[in-house]
Amino acid sequence: MTDNLFREEVRAFLERALTPDIVRAGELMTSVFADYDATMKWHRALHSQGWIAPDWPAEYGGTGWTLNQRYIFQEECKLANAPSLPAMGLQMLGPMLMLHGTEQQKDYYLPRILSGEDMWCQGYSEPGAGSDLASLITSAVRDGDDYLINGSKIWTSYAQHSNKIFCLVRTSKEGRPQAGISFILVDMDSQGLQVEPIVGLDGTVEQCQVFFDNVRVPASNLLGQENQGWDVAKSLLEFERGGHNFTIDHKKQMAKINKQANSQRDADNQLWSQNPVFTAKLADIAVDALALEYTELRVKGAFEAGGNAGALSSLTKVVGTEIGQRFNELSLEVMGEHALVKQLDALQPSYQGDTIGPDCGLTTMAEYINNRASTIYGGSAEIQRDIIAKRVLRL
Amino acid sequence: MFIEYSEEQTMLHDSADKYLRENYSFENRQAALARDAGFNAEQWQMFADLGWLAMTFEEEAGGFGGGALETMILCEQFGKYLVLEPYLESVVLVGGLLEAGGQTAIKQQYLAGLMAGELQGALAYLEEGHMANPQYVAAKAEVAANGYLLNGHKAVVLNGPEADLFLVTARTGNDVLDSAAGISLFAVPKNAPGLSCKNYKTYDGRSACELQLDNVALDAQALVGVAGEFSELAEPIFSRAIVAVCAEAVGAMDALLNATVDYTKQRKQFGQSISSFQVLRHRMADMYMDIELTRSLLMATAWKLDNGSEDAQQCVAALKAKVGKAGRYVSHNAIQLHGGIGTTDEFSVGHYFKRLAAIGVMFGSRDSHLSRYMQFEI
Repeated sequence: MTDNLFREEVRAFLERALTPDIVRAGELMTSVFADYDATMKWHRALHSQGWIAPDWPAEYGGTGWTLNQRYIFQEECKLANAPSLPAMGLQMLGPMLMLHGTEQQKDYYLPRILSGEDMWCQGYSEPGAGSDLASLITSAVRDGDDYLINGSKIWTSYAQHSNKIFCLVRTSKEGRPQAGISFILVDMDSQGLQVEPIVGLDGTVEQCQVFFDNVRVPASNLLGQENQGWDVAKSLLEFERGGHNFTIDHKKQMAKINKQANSQRDADNQLWSQNPVFTAKLADIAVDALALEYTELRVKGAFEAGGNAGALSSLTKVVGTEIGQRFNELSLEVMGEHALVKQLDALQPSYQGDTIGPDCGLTTMAEYINNRASTIYGGSAEIQRDIIAKRVLRL
Repeated sequence: MFIEYSEEQTMLHDSADKYLRENYSFENRQAALARDAGFNAEQWQMFADLGWLAMTFEEEAGGFGGGALETMILCEQFGKYLVLEPYLESVVLVGGLLEAGGQTAIKQQYLAGLMAGELQGALAYLEEGHMANPQYVAAKAEVAANGYLLNGHKAVVLNGPEADLFLVTARTGNDVLDSAAGISLFAVPKNAPGLSCKNYKTYDGRSACELQLDNVALDAQALVGVAGEFSELAEPIFSRAIVAVCAEAVGAMDALLNATVDYTKQRKQFGQSISSFQVLRHRMADMYMDIELTRSLLMATAWKLDNGSEDAQQCVAALKAKVGKAGRYVSHNAIQLHGGIGTTDEFSVGHYFKRLAAIGVMFGSRDSHLSRYMQFEI
């Protein structure tokens, strides 16, 4: 099938499956997560179409699409304002299960990720272990056929909606810190596991802290061997970095800011889109976004040629998130005081009441606030620069 | 991928890199710089013998049929080794314009000589006070018996002192001085009566001149392209020239980053290599990111120009703007991280810096291209 025909097919599906409430959830996204109920509705629609995991090999339930087709699918979904799906199960744990899981683990967990029956969250960071992840201290001690887990995980996105958590835990204090870490799969309803929500700057809950008090987990829930969890996690982190396409986000941000600049007026009563300071700033962002777009195509080309993107994925993570933040800041300049109005109800897709101010400014401040996290999560911008210095420049 | 190199293109890259690495040391380059011409005529002849000067001309004109990608591949190496020879001026600009619009007699007289390395050219198109707009032309060409009579002044004519042939813009119609319509291009030999040059050096070690034209009489054969349509003729050539200087910039930035990494590893302060300091490591990571982003845009632009993509011109504007920003970031930090030694004439870093500064202002500055970029729908 040609790419154009494929694009038509995707569009036809999106027109059918993206109901107004789902689209509204996509429009009202103020972070990488959309409204939970709408997200799950969209998840089920994709699952019944067989399109829930385009990046997975066909044998595990993937679509068998080419890289180009997957890119087109992502692009069309984003531009049609489909909500993003949480990455933890589909993008992160799934591929690692395929690489490191036993047959039983794969048979059990993978279909449940596809169907949405399991919602996973990621238990990596701890209060004392962020960028220096290998210093983590949450412990798993062998007790017969089980492990007993004690400690706490933090910045656990979506834990409040999840029934499963995959964790890095310390199983040994011998040798290098990395050498004593194991990767384990835990039920959230286990005895002794407690979730505390963390209220973010916009007043909503996206992150949690998860506490483990003698949580008993069967030893068969290890992914990979005991004390080999660091290697499992490392490949996962690389997937997290390389897996995201920032250009598609930027196109959506560009469409949004053009809408804002073509409706709001500056001090001289001109549309902001005619204001020279605004246009100069937007041009500067657009040029960097274009350079990133072709860099992402180089990354894609490297994958297609069977190689890997290496440090270019650190580059795209840093530059992609920083460009996103520049869009957020420029939106604030245009929306002015409209951005101040806090109306969290109106950010729910099910909301039917009146909203205050222009629709194109509903999310402006929340996006700006929430997106500060983008250069922190998934390997901070500083850690990415460390990686480039070490791995590429050999410093 | 959106760009794949052919076997020939890969060979061109490798052989240019190899030749220059073995034959174009910084010391030799500095020795050539000290000469009057400011470059090495023997090197220029070698470039011709290697086929580089003919690389981008059509096969029927005696070339090898290369396009923007070949220009990019060669110029990136020229940037990396800080090549002084006037490839841009003689081949990309004058050669490109002559091939696109020269009349048979002029082509026969000059084009083969340019490709063979026997002749040099210079494009005289800028006028004082209007550096950002090649379409501001006050110089006039009046129709006279059997041809034209040229009067006017041209500013910053790169490679002018070495040129055997000037290509000069002058208005043949339309008295609006910044109108794109009504500009014509003329081939003017260096010994034409009424032509005078005020020669000088540029900060990046090239030679250039101010050109004065007083009643320079030309025959009808001297007209290059259609009368009044220089802007149409020149657009693809200026695009090619922007790819050439931006490729040079990418090569120069690569060289600067490599030099900076090496230097910070061996330079010790406070009892350790300064490359162990995170503030410097991150600075170099930022330099790397800027270079790779620019490289992506460069490859895409060259590719789009060769394939006639609709958005090629938009990419050209984006590329030149990005090179302006990245060139400054990389060169400023290369000097900063080298410390005092980076500010000396003796050391290569400062010479890369000056070339990048020159490229930054040529064919439209960063701000000029950002303005242009905004005129496209984004």
